[in-house]
Amino acid sequence: MGPLVTQGIIDPAWNNLIALLVGMAFGFILESSGFSSSRKLAGVFYGYDFVVLKVFFTAAITAALGLLLMSSIGMIDLSKIFINPTFLGPGIVGGIIMGFGFIMGGYCPGTSFCGAAIGKIDAIIFTLGMFVGILIFSELFPLYSDFFTSGAMGNILVTDVLGIPAGLFVLLLTIVAVGAFYVTGIIEKRVNNPKS
Amino acid sequence: MSETKEHRKPKEYINPYLGGVLLGLVLLTTIYITGRGLGASGAVKSAVVATVDVVATEHAHNSPYMGQFLSDDEGPMNNWLVFEVLGVIVGAFISGTFAGRLKLTVEHQPKITSKTRLIFAGLGGLLFGIGTQFGRGCTSGTALSGMATLSLAGFIAMLSIFGTAFLLAYFFRKLWI
Amino acid sequence: MKEELFVSGRDIPNIDPFLNIWHWQIPMYLFLGGLAAGILFFASLFTIMGKEKEMPTTVKRATLLVPIALSLGLFFLFLDLKHKLWFWQLYTTIRLESPMSWGAWTLMVITPLSMVWSASYLKELWPAWDWKFKILDDFEKLVIKNRKGLAWAMIILAVILGIYTGILLSAFNARPLWNTSLLGPLFLVSGMSTGAATIMWMAKDKSERLLMSKIDLLLISIELFFIVHLFMGFLASNAVQIEAANLFLGGAFTVSFWGFVVVLGLIVPALLEILELRGYHIPVAIPAGLILFGGMMFRFIMVEAGQITRYLY
Repeated sequence: MGPLVTQGIIDPAWNNLIALLVGMAFGFILESSGFSSSRKLAGVFYGYDFVVLKVFFTAAITAALGLLLMSSIGMIDLSKIFINPTFLGPGIVGGIIMGFGFIMGGYCPGTSFCGAAIGKIDAIIFTLGMFVGILIFSELFPLYSDFFTSGAMGNILVTDVLGIPAGLFVLLLTIVAVGAFYVTGIIEKRVNNPKS
Repeated sequence: MSETKEHRKPKEYINPYLGGVLLGLVLLTTIYITGRGLGASGAVKSAVVATVDVVATEHAHNSPYMGQFLSDDEGPMNNWLVFEVLGVIVGAFISGTFAGRLKLTVEHQPKITSKTRLIFAGLGGLLFGIGTQFGRGCTSGTALSGMATLSLAGFIAMLSIFGTAFLLAYFFRKLWI
Repeated sequence: MKEELFVSGRDIPNIDPFLNIWHWQIPMYLFLGGLAAGILFFASLFTIMGKEKEMPTTVKRATLLVPIALSLGLFFLFLDLKHKLWFWQLYTTIRLESPMSWGAWTLMVITPLSMVWSASYLKELWPAWDWKFKILDDFEKLVIKNRKGLAWAMIILAVILGIYTGILLSAFNARPLWNTSLLGPLFLVSGMSTGAATIMWMAKDKSERLLMSKIDLLLISIELFFIVHLFMGFLASNAVQIEAANLFLGGAFTVSFWGFVVVLGLIVPALLEILELRGYHIPVAIPAGLILFGGMMFRFIMVEAGQITRYLY
């Protein structure tokens, strides 16, 4: 019964080796899907390439469905997995700043490593920028240390807030995603072949 | 124009839905084995902490933010995410080799110069770096992994990152189209 | 100089329960020794096969590194000695049962031979080279005439040197991790693989690079095979050796060994080499650099981990 490391089925000493192998698969798939190209990533915001949306949503839904399925057959104990804690204010502010970073830099951290790995100099500069950004954040931390821990809601689930069962939520999410894939497919065609 | 470019590329990218399913399975496996999802920005944070720790040890330990990531018995680089990101770089390199995409280059649309692209890449990285710390994780760690576990934080991150970028797209269009 | 008097065989600082006498110098020395042995082995092999023309980097340019690697290695070894002025005493005895003695004598012979070998190619590599003295010119002619014989001597010595880098450790019977006869061949193969990687990196000619790449792939497979058998051997052995193996299978060295040595130092470069042989374009520095890095890590980990394994409780 999973999670294997948390439950002590796999010794934690193997954890970092698993990280390396999982990371290799992660990097391979991101790069193969085109996430090493900032122009391809930025396409989602201008309608000429929706690869980010497609990969991102398909991945999230696959994993969410998988977790529900594994939990229902007793393969994984969902109470033992890490739920990102919600800090409302800092979460939204952070997201907005990241939105600025995304549209200006064309990468997010994970994809910038992929770009850097295959020789994109702009991706290497992006990662260096991140390094500086985190350093700045850390140095100025006293200015917003109160804000940083404000709005704490704990390790809360979206389904707790909405008050609907997880299965129903994932179903709705899937329907929304399929709808989005259909609509963006049409937009993509229009943008890339304006005449047809 | 981007069409002809695609055709000249040595190898096509894989189908995005296939990529998505594979990525989802990797994420699922990761959660099944380790109990938490993937990430990326955490590794940069570790690198920052480790660097400051080497350059100015006392400063790092006294820092109210960095200090919490330093312990006496383990180095800051001995971290799950650091190994994962190392793997990401190796995996992406192998994939790039397969597809014939290894090339030292600055990628930008023809209407802007390499210099403009690099300046905005640096600025974007800087902002993204700051944002990841406020948001406690990036697109991979909070948005993607968070959405998979149905955490509220994941959906907030996804909506605010992509929402902001969509709203700003018009103002930065010269960079991309 | 402060000498210590031991009244008990237990709890001796830096020896029992944990050996803590070897630091970075020894693994570096083992790495450089293995690298030198690897390069010399291939240089001699292709000379004996009469393929100097096809393999110019292997036979000529790469061997220039060997005297440097050996001298540097010996210098690190010298740094490690406590009584530096008594260094020469290693050469006052020949003890057939001591691997230290074997190694010291092999190095004593192979270092000058490798210098003579690479010196004899200096003129070919830099036509403007001038030996200044006639006696040196004559000596060069003599060496060039007898290169095949020299190659035979060097290939044997290179194998001994390569094995010795592992035997040096396995002679410590009291350290369970090192007490296995597989270490000699394993270090030899690993050293040859780092040598092949260096040649591959330096080679200008594509066919030479690809041949070295193929050889390296073979060596990597043998090395992986040995590593698997090393652990199978440990696990089938007594409790202390199982405990020694557990340092790597869920202990302190798990990530550094399987991650850096096996995955990044062997499997990933092997994969990249296979891709290159299939016609994909790869900057050679990456697989070669990974192999060298993996080889170095391997020696650091074996020396470090071996010192904390023990029989006594």
